[in-house]
Amino acid sequence: MERPTYRARVERIFDHCEDTRSLFLRTVSDTLPQYSPGMFVSISIPLANETRVRPYTIATSPEDGEPFELCFNLVPDGPGAAWMFERTVGDLLDFTGPFGAFTLERAPECEMVFIAEETTIAPIRPMLRRALSQPAAHQIHLLYAAERSEHLLYRPELELLSNAYPRFRFEPLVIEHDFLYQRLLDEVQRRWVTSDSGRSRHFYVCGIGSGVLKLRHLLREAGYERRAVRYERW
Amino acid sequence: MATIRVIYENGSPERVIEFDPAKAPFQHDGQPGSVLDVLLGHGIHLEHACGGNCACTTCHVIVRQGLNRLSEASEQEEDMLDRAPGLTPTSRLGCQAVIEDRHAEIVVVVPRYTINQISESREG
Repeated sequence: MERPTYRARVERIFDHCEDTRSLFLRTVSDTLPQYSPGMFVSISIPLANETRVRPYTIATSPEDGEPFELCFNLVPDGPGAAWMFERTVGDLLDFTGPFGAFTLERAPECEMVFIAEETTIAPIRPMLRRALSQPAAHQIHLLYAAERSEHLLYRPELELLSNAYPRFRFEPLVIEHDFLYQRLLDEVQRRWVTSDSGRSRHFYVCGIGSGVLKLRHLLREAGYERRAVRYERW
Repeated sequence: MATIRVIYENGSPERVIEFDPAKAPFQHDGQPGSVLDVLLGHGIHLEHACGGNCACTTCHVIVRQGLNRLSEASEQEEDMLDRAPGLTPTSRLGCQAVIEDRHAEIVVVVPRYTINQISESREG
């Protein structure tokens, strides 16, 4: 089956900080296919001797329509990120998708805990917005960690949401990089493993590196159902 | 030399590659020496929407021969495979299944549908 390739034009650029940027894209000849919150598109990156594909999560909600937003940071020695950072308004990008299994179409009927670090808030943001848009009484938590406060993206928006929705608790954490995941592990252990015997919550964890897998392991070993612990490791 | 034979469910011509696992990685995506790495490094396309990072199922392959010659699937791969269309007991993600045996003879089938786009997604 031939997979369709779409073309989009950079409509706007927003710099969250010196090393984190969002591109706002609008498709040129087709509309962006229907997708679920949390999905990514696969961008064709033309390098010197080859074309590589790199995934970038759609940070906006399906309900927002177009332009859609891709949020990313400048990864050292990352040719894909470097190329994306070189894009200017009017540039065209080719992509396939959207793809992905780390999604949230309908919020489960239970308490939800989202955990993210820095740019990995990108899939969490539309998932959270979808969960809050659905009538429910269950609590929703967001633990959002970064080494520097400027890397806590969309913070004003998240604070507005926490004011607007009493059942949503937004907890930003600024933690030195080497201690970030240990702190998250400690928080999760303390709040949702040791001090609470309930195991009906659903977790949605997005992060970088092995810390994500340690969180998964902690929760599953604590008795949370396997499919109640959803994660995406970048 | 190890060999990998690729059969396409959509009827595309089969491909056979001989390679030395010790020379991995062959290119940049997927685990070094993985089915994805070997195929891409020898000019054979296998979809990998997430760049070979175990974040999608587009590199899903069904192993018809040599399953026990592949690296053991991690929990992360198993979690992702749960969501693969057409999942079978011998399914693997091409980006994660590493061929280490220098004399392995692997046969994989590339399913017709390997995507988890919205039309195929199973929301949980």
